[in-house]
Amino acid sequence: MHQRRNQLTIATVAFVLGLLVVVQLRTQASGAAFAALSSQELTVLVANLNDRNDALRGEVAALDRELSTLTANTQRGEVSVDELRADLRRVRLYAGIDPATGPGVVITIRGPIDGTGVEDLVNELRNAGAEAMAIETVRLVPGVVTAGAAGVVTVDGVPLADPFELSAIGAPSKLTGSLTRSGGIIAQLAATQPDVVVEVTPLDRVDVPATDRELVPSHARPRL
Amino acid sequence: MTLAARLRGIPSWQVTLGVALLGLGFLVAAQLASEGPRVRYTTQERSPLVETATDLQADQEALKAAILDLRTRIQAAEQAGQGSAALVKDLNDQLQSARIAAGLIPLTGSGIVLQIEDSQEPADPEGNMQDLLVGARDLRTIVEELWQAGAEAVAVNGERMTPTTAVIDIGPSILVNSAYLAGPYQVTAVGPDDLYARLSASPGFVDFIRARAEAWGLRVSIAEPESVDMPAFAGTVTLRYARPQASATTAAPAP
Repeated sequence: MHQRRNQLTIATVAFVLGLLVVVQLRTQASGAAFAALSSQELTVLVANLNDRNDALRGEVAALDRELSTLTANTQRGEVSVDELRADLRRVRLYAGIDPATGPGVVITIRGPIDGTGVEDLVNELRNAGAEAMAIETVRLVPGVVTAGAAGVVTVDGVPLADPFELSAIGAPSKLTGSLTRSGGIIAQLAATQPDVVVEVTPLDRVDVPATDRELVPSHARPRL
Repeated sequence: MTLAARLRGIPSWQVTLGVALLGLGFLVAAQLASEGPRVRYTTQERSPLVETATDLQADQEALKAAILDLRTRIQAAEQAGQGSAALVKDLNDQLQSARIAAGLIPLTGSGIVLQIEDSQEPADPEGNMQDLLVGARDLRTIVEELWQAGAEAVAVNGERMTPTTAVIDIGPSILVNSAYLAGPYQVTAVGPDDLYARLSASPGFVDFIRARAEAWGLRVSIAEPESVDMPAFAGTVTLRYARPQASATTAAPAP
């Protein structure tokens, strides 16, 4: 009798435990954040996830091809110098180590903008697919911050003149559209910083310089 | 009686029950903690859209894992190239350094971890609910302050900050790189030993804490572990519009 009651207790605890594990896992997996979104927000999110997953699929395909070429070369006993060079060019361009050129936009900013306003513009351009950017001659890489109060803005510590230019390489129509759409970042700036004038010019060719920063961290090493 | 002997004296069902209760307590706490102010709809209202979003997110995890795996294998294949050793070794050294610069290699080093969570204060019916939630602008301010304090690499919930990373609000969740993140947000930064001291001395960071943590109750905590792990960027580095400038020669010096 005593033994049976023990078993019953354990069975009950095990049941509740199992139930909680499932509930907890579902909460974690499906993301409480998703359940809190409105259907309009979810529609944006699904469209966004579709786009971004397509881009990731493209990268997987490109890496697959690269690996096949390398493997085939090795099997033939050849050295893949061309592939190594192409890979190096691609990574250096992305990182900002080499100067870049391509279609894009040049944005002229006049008036007393503050650092946060410039960072918001840069963030919006990245969201619209900007691939390489610079403010005047400073390439925008991780670590470079535009800061300061209205009218005394610095980029990476260098004071900016009025007006100054922000250059971005990417699809010109997409970059322009994302900035100038109604309720977009330029409209928001006009509301919060009315003395600032932002002018966007789509161009077939925009040049962006290389960074002069050291991008390899000195306080960390590769993790194996 | 020794500890081992005493433990042997306890009936095994008591041990089982004890462990189970411990697990139960943990799960109840975890469950309660994960039900923050963001949960407004019950699971019954979960629409097909939520299912689709969840599936797409699972797809994305698989794609990112595939990218990291392929990069590791490509790196191994590149380094396995035999023959004209000096040129190949030089190219591989340059590649390794470029990949670290681009955030494609996971790192470990000195640094800090800052955690920020939604406020637990009750929403003011007259006020804006958004003020009680961690938003993209909050994360961007923290990241900008970390860079200015001397951080050399930064990631948010496993998403590395790269030259193309945007941090934007989509409703109450935050999009970083390709990923939708939910709180608590952990911002990991690699940097010099005085990174924490420099961050907490920054007027901009002090203003941020005053405006968001003290005024609205966002919960901010900072840890200084022995070492921090920095994830690699699992996204696309293939640019579609940008090309190298004609004058730029990036390859190794001619042999």
